[in-house]
Amino acid sequence: MLATNGIPTAEELAPRIPPAERLKKGPVAIIECFQKIPCNPCSTACKTGAIEKFEDINDLPSVDLEKCTGCGLCISKCPGLAIFVVDETYSEMEAAVSLPFEFLPLPAEGEEVDVLDRSGKTVGRGKVIRVRNGKYEDRTPVVTVAVPKELSMVVRNIRVGGDRR
Amino acid sequence: MKSKTVICRCEDVTLEEIEELMEKGYTSMDEIKRITRCGMGQCQGRTCRTLLLAELAKAVKTHPAEIKITTFRPPAKNIKMSVILGGIDNEQNG
Amino acid sequence: MKHAEIAVIGGGPAGLMAALAAAEMGAKVTLVDRNSRLGGQLVKQTHKFFGSEKEYASIRGIDIGRILATEVHKNPNIETMLNSTVVAYYPDDGVLGIEVEEKKWVKMKAERIVVATGASEKYLLFENNDLPGIYGAGAVQTLMNEHGVVPGKNVLMVGAGNIGLIVSYQLMQAGVNVKAIIDAAPSIGGYWVHASKVARLGVPILTSYTVKAAYPNEMTGALERAVIWRVDDRWQPVPGTEKVFNVDVMCIAVGLSPLAELLWQAGCKMMYVPELGGHVPVRNDNMETTVSGIYVAGDVAGVEEASSAMMEGRLAGLSAAKSLGYDDGTYEEKKAEALKELENLRSGPVGGKIRKGLAQLAS
Ligand SMILES: Cc1cc2nc3c(=O)[nH]c(=O)nc-3n(C[C@H](O)[C@H](O)[C@H](O)COP(=O)(O)OP(=O)(O)OC[C@H]3O[C@@H](n4cnc5c(N)ncnc54)[C@H](O)[C@@H]3O)c2cc1C
Ligand code: SF4
Ligand code: SF4
Repeated sequence: MLATNGIPTAEELAPRIPPAERLKKGPVAIIECFQKIPCNPCSTACKTGAIEKFEDINDLPSVDLEKCTGCGLCISKCPGLAIFVVDETYSEMEAAVSLPFEFLPLPAEGEEVDVLDRSGKTVGRGKVIRVRNGKYEDRTPVVTVAVPKELSMVVRNIRVGGDRR
Repeated sequence: MKSKTVICRCEDVTLEEIEELMEKGYTSMDEIKRITRCGMGQCQGRTCRTLLLAELAKAVKTHPAEIKITTFRPPAKNIKMSVILGGIDNEQNG
Repeated sequence: MKHAEIAVIGGGPAGLMAALAAAEMGAKVTLVDRNSRLGGQLVKQTHKFFGSEKEYASIRGIDIGRILATEVHKNPNIETMLNSTVVAYYPDDGVLGIEVEEKKWVKMKAERIVVATGASEKYLLFENNDLPGIYGAGAVQTLMNEHGVVPGKNVLMVGAGNIGLIVSYQLMQAGVNVKAIIDAAPSIGGYWVHASKVARLGVPILTSYTVKAAYPNEMTGALERAVIWRVDDRWQPVPGTEKVFNVDVMCIAVGLSPLAELLWQAGCKMMYVPELGGHVPVRNDNMETTVSGIYVAGDVAGVEEASSAMMEGRLAGLSAAKSLGYDDGTYEEKKAEALKELENLRSGPVGGKIRKGLAQLAS
């Protein structure tokens, strides 16, 4: 449970998971920000207006699933590192998950990495498709990793180079 | 090594010492400060003041707001006497 | 004796904004900080900040510090004194005593003073709490992010507020293993997004746990083992619930309390408000204390956030300048804007504690 261990339960997550029909259409942002805090850069980062402008800085972000193109420009702007883009159309068997990753070493494109769930548990292996780490990301690189489709709503972190713990 | 719970790190005052004093009836911050030097060291009570406040409030069963805080006298930090004594010269130089 | 129109004490986000705002109104400002560079807490914050554009949201704390410091350094109305600690305020003549570079003593008479000295870390009482290896979270951050030194290999973090969560994240970034984050409260005090960030790294967060004792290595005398135990809903430890962690570092992040010595010396009326971190100065909506001419801003006025510290600083700076007659007609509007922004920042559920504290202060 978020309030006691920082891990959202299935019930807490449910309202944030887009319906299957939308996921079939292509990439979409999933914002795992569940608490009203004084913060709004996600809404100013989105250029398509998919993240509705906040009336009050404490508002919860909500994604207009029709307007969202899954461009991922909001990912590195969120100080909470709470935004992910999931593309279930990546291939027949795989989904592409884009996530913020502020650790070294960064994976290379094409590299295989461990993929982790929201509690940091390794749930399988994935292949890095893309690493965005330009001036725009400002040292919050965005890594896109291909994972088995059934893990698209599970994988939220990666580990490069095996378990160091 | 004997185990202890330190309340004032600058003057090495332990919780045990404070508790002993409170049992003897010393329950004001001023008294405890005078006896133990708790809060009179290098940091001038930045760490221990809140801790002592909470312990005293617990001991006399009152709200921390009711406990009288010790007087704050300048300087708020230990400084070398020579710094102050040399002050006028320094000002003329600088 | 040195003379200043407005002396701003402390160059963190609150002091920097106060100096800039007063200078913008045309006043001459002397900004004093005990460190060798400006920025206060921001210097150590490598993560991106919350807030809105007005408070530089989504920019890393360290970069916000740099942006503000650059503005200050190039402002002709602001003089900065670094490596200078204000250690005394003499209420009889309103003179400040400043220790410069630990060797010079400078007296300064200022017409207005803005105290923006921030806060200091709270500590915790438990057996052997003075072992080497037990640090405050701030000390660990300074060690890591300013000096590039890691504090050890395995860490137990005590405190799941924003500071405990963020410092844990930074430790993991530096390759240090955080074994667990514990907190005596039944729920996480920090923002959930921060908690999720560390949870995703595999760091367990245990609520309703406190430290029972720390034990040293027989040879080195340094921390080797930490024992925690659960607390019940009346905050009483429950025997038999102990857990042991083999750690060489324990990091204490149980909150901050205002660094208000100068305000006490000046005789400002203080009030004990736990929601704001301890004893805080009573002040009006210009951020002026009960001693006329002394203003406050930031954590020293109530432990909160950099975003609100900046807005309070702006308010204090504007008001101090205005009281000296600097007003090109924009004061009321600028003040209203800063007040509005503060209200916005504090309006949500996480601002509830601050609102409660401020209400108590105003009563
Ligand atoms: C780990 C951590 C993470 C944080 N994350 C966030 C975040 O994401 N978002 C956010 O909004 N806030 C965050 N904060 C809080 C934020 O850093 C503080 O609220 C903010 O820095 C307070 O600003 P300030 O100017 O009041 O004090 P400070 O930043 O503490 O600055 C006070 C300055 O005064 C100087 N000083 C003190 N006494 C004297 C004296 N006697 N003479 C001369 N100089 C003196 C100090 O050297 C210091 O430079 C975080 C804090 C920490 C510790
Ligand atoms: S992915 Fe792109 S379009 Fe969708 S919310 Fe984020 S920035 Fe907007
Ligand atoms: S930027 Fe991130 S943390 Fe801030 S409100 Fe948006 S989603 Fe939440």
